Amino acid sequence: MTLASPLDPDQTATPLEPEAHPVRACKVLVAEDSSITQDLLKLLLNRRGHQVDTVTDGIEALAALRKNQYDIALLDFHLPRMDGAQIAANLRKDANGLRLPRLVAITADIEGLLASPSSENFDHIIPKPLDIYEVGKLVEEQADIADRQLETADVAPKPRPVELKAAPVPVEPSFLQGLGYHFLAWPDDVGPTRLSARGIQATLGDPRFDALLITEPVSKAELATIWPRKALYVLPVIDLTGTLGGTADLDGSKSGAQSSGEIDRLVHEFRDRRGSLSHDLLLSDDLGDQLLGRVYVSNKPLDPIYDPSAKGLVSYNTTLIGSVVAREAEALCQRGLLKREFFDRFNVCVRCDSARLHVREECSKCHSSNLIDEPYLHHFKCAFQGPESEFRHGNDLICPKCRRELLNFGFDYDRPGTMIVCQACGHAASEPVVGFVCLDCGAHADSENCPTRDVYAYRITDQGTGFAEYGEAFLGETRHALRFTELPIELVVAMNAEAKKFNEDKTPFTLVNIFYRNARAITAEHGANQFAQARNLFVENLRAALHPSSDLVVQGQSYDFVLLKGIDPKEAQEDFDALKQAGERALRLDLGVKFQAFGPEDFS
Amino acid sequence: MGQLVTDGFNFLASQSGESLFRLFWFVVIFEIPRYTLSFMAVAAISVRTERAHPGKVNVGRISVVIAGHNEEDTIERCVVSLREQSLVPDEIVVVSDGSTDRMPQVLSALQRRGLIQQAHSTQVRSGKSAAVNLAVGRSTGNIVVNVDCDCTFDRHALRDIVEPLADPEVGAVSGNIIVRNPEVSLISACQAIEYMISISQGKQASGLTDQVSCVSGAFGAFRREALERVGGLDSGGGEDLDVTLKLRTAGWKARFAPDAICYTDVPTTLDALTRQRFRWERDAVRLRNRKHSDLLNPFSSRFSVLELLHELDFLVFNVFAAAIFPIYIVWLFVTYGELTPVILMAAQVGMWGLDALTFLLAAWMTPKANAFALVLYLPAYSPFYGFLMRFVRLAAYLQEWVFKASYHDPYVPQKVHRVRK
Repeated sequence: MTLASPLDPDQTATPLEPEAHPVRACKVLVAEDSSITQDLLKLLLNRRGHQVDTVTDGIEALAALRKNQYDIALLDFHLPRMDGAQIAANLRKDANGLRLPRLVAITADIEGLLASPSSENFDHIIPKPLDIYEVGKLVEEQADIADRQLETADVAPKPRPVELKAAPVPVEPSFLQGLGYHFLAWPDDVGPTRLSARGIQATLGDPRFDALLITEPVSKAELATIWPRKALYVLPVIDLTGTLGGTADLDGSKSGAQSSGEIDRLVHEFRDRRGSLSHDLLLSDDLGDQLLGRVYVSNKPLDPIYDPSAKGLVSYNTTLIGSVVAREAEALCQRGLLKREFFDRFNVCVRCDSARLHVREECSKCHSSNLIDEPYLHHFKCAFQGPESEFRHGNDLICPKCRRELLNFGFDYDRPGTMIVCQACGHAASEPVVGFVCLDCGAHADSENCPTRDVYAYRITDQGTGFAEYGEAFLGETRHALRFTELPIELVVAMNAEAKKFNEDKTPFTLVNIFYRNARAITAEHGANQFAQARNLFVENLRAALHPSSDLVVQGQSYDFVLLKGIDPKEAQEDFDALKQAGERALRLDLGVKFQAFGPEDFS
Repeated sequence: MGQLVTDGFNFLASQSGESLFRLFWFVVIFEIPRYTLSFMAVAAISVRTERAHPGKVNVGRISVVIAGHNEEDTIERCVVSLREQSLVPDEIVVVSDGSTDRMPQVLSALQRRGLIQQAHSTQVRSGKSAAVNLAVGRSTGNIVVNVDCDCTFDRHALRDIVEPLADPEVGAVSGNIIVRNPEVSLISACQAIEYMISISQGKQASGLTDQVSCVSGAFGAFRREALERVGGLDSGGGEDLDVTLKLRTAGWKARFAPDAICYTDVPTTLDALTRQRFRWERDAVRLRNRKHSDLLNPFSSRFSVLELLHELDFLVFNVFAAAIFPIYIVWLFVTYGELTPVILMAAQVGMWGLDALTFLLAAWMTPKANAFALVLYLPAYSPFYGFLMRFVRLAAYLQEWVFKASYHDPYVPQKVHRVRK
């Protein structure tokens, strides 16, 4: 697995794309004592085409592992009777060259696991709360790795995509201690190829972390590896080395009270806005969405600054290189999420696209820059006009045609103009031409033929802000999968029950997502309170309209939900209009309600 | 009125040969010899066989030099016309003489397109002579062809104009100028006829007798060596006449190439025409009778019979004819009173006859001039040339002799006027 795209501007930005092996059906063992998690995992993995066996305690798990050949085992660390670590240890002990399944630990306490020596036995660790989508991808990635291991069949140490090391909590500079913030450090917690346990926590959107401290000098290309790691990009970057300039959000190399005030402001600003950032964006893989998220969270536009070390001579105030930012930002502009302001126009090399061009006056014939100016004199009396050098004899000016001395400027003679003479080829003209030479590849271009590139600053639009706060649904895009981690807990519980029933006897259910399109407009015009009241009334109306035993209405953060039991999405959709009408009874404001239905098939 | 005509007719019919001469002495002395020369020219040429063009004569490297002031509209057309020649010039050098319009930019563009080899623009106007000298100085050919910005050319013009330079004694060759815009006004149509008859035909005749005294500045070819020896162009107007006289007196021959055809626009209003002719005539009299006056002096080292002939030609047929003409008119009125208009009419009728004949001959000799379109204007031509131009000349000569008007002509920058000879 390679960390490719934020470093390489030519690839389309989807970080961490798995290699092109077809996804094959795997045999998975899930050892989980929480039935909620069990059912969800089973549902999810089945949908993806894998075969799932579940056990509820450690002894069963070990037995199952020994008896059957599994591709992957997801082991909860804290299982009754035998914990995950022991299972792994025992399994490895009795391996005897048998092919072992990939062992993945699920735990809420990563640090605890990493502290234990048995962490070596696991191939990967995923933390609770589970990100269902992570699991799915992880299963496939691990299967992939296993397959490739088989192919290469070497007994070399298992390739670890991520170096799991319990890094000590970094020692912060004195002025940062005592502020009570949780920092991640580069490169100890987050490095180009490594991620500490705390780092992993942060990539899952753990809100505890406040900022990323840069403790060692680092290049922009290396910093770009932050982006494929999901939620890390929303952290403010504090530069302790003083070398990053505008790339970091704050230059912390100057310590003192002044800095700590700035740090407070920075962290709070980011934290507040992080809270209202949609989960879609927080955990997105798409670099474009991430960039938008960053613009939203930092509350600052993407400003270009002149950077002589960059090939495009421009870099932006974030940890991606200039050309990548430009590419992604332009795409976001196309979608109406950012608006751009002209900054500057650069001439670029026609061959290698670099903006590092050397500009000079040249001979129009041979392109040499070895030019000198030669003034011309016009002798009135005899109409001779020629270069001054032909007149000059020491300190005197003698007309070469009539041999008279030129004494009185403006009366005997004058200077009508200047000739530019090329000392390389002798060609002369009244004006030189301007030529460009690329400093990176040496290509030459005339000023008329030189291509240009426009550079812009980017600001978030209202549309962009809405997208950042509400995610995909804001854009009216149909059918996107929900993330379990953002659902209210009573809904998750209920859904688990439904999932179980579906697994057993295929009883369908529908989760309806309620989105209020006019939320921001109403809040802006009438105030947040009015909107909240209207929304509550709508939900109450729905509750009244629906059957309490078969249907459940739950309020979430930005969306509300209805769980309809015993009915599949297609049938549910037919009732939407009626449902909407029922909800809007006695409502004065138009909430712009939009329903989206998800059935069991969508949870994969 | 009718009575007058009848009386006049009777009067004329009753004259004897000698008395007719006394009546029309002016015409006889000053007009008929001119026509006689034309006949001679025609006769000579028609007798000779069609001169075969020996194909492209290798005279060496040919540079075309063009100097102009504020000629952004016409320069490209001229350059393109040069590029279309059967004998393409080795080099085209263009100078913008202190232009205030976009001529420098046009020249840059032409150079970038490869249509001209050298383009120079000065910030301050120096005048035609200096500008041409600059262009010649920068050119590299051993044959220098000087053209005006607003000229266009026949395909073989360049080939035909450099041909006489195969003779090493020839220092300069004049091209044949034809009016491009005769249809615009009566004035321009008359000039078209004038160019055909007197300039073109006149030069042909002169060419036969080695009397080409002015290689036209609009289209002239020079041997560089000759040009350098005489110091190029001098300051002041009439630089084409001036340099030809200098070359002739230095021993070089000047020729006329009737097939080397160049088209140019002529003034279309009486006002513009008058100003142009004033300038030509003032410059001519200044040059011939001041600067090169020693050509008339038998004791001068530059004296030669050949030069004397064309100097006298100018003196007699231009200057004296112009001066005496009003005297003739007055004398007619004094002597014959009210019959004068009839007499003048009779003279005019006679002129028309001669003009028509000459015109036909000229048309036959210069087919390019599209003579048939001009036939209608023939009747206007005589009075135009006979009366109008003569008065213009007279006034010009007076201006120059008495007031030295050529020294204030804006054609040459004031700064140059102050110091030139």
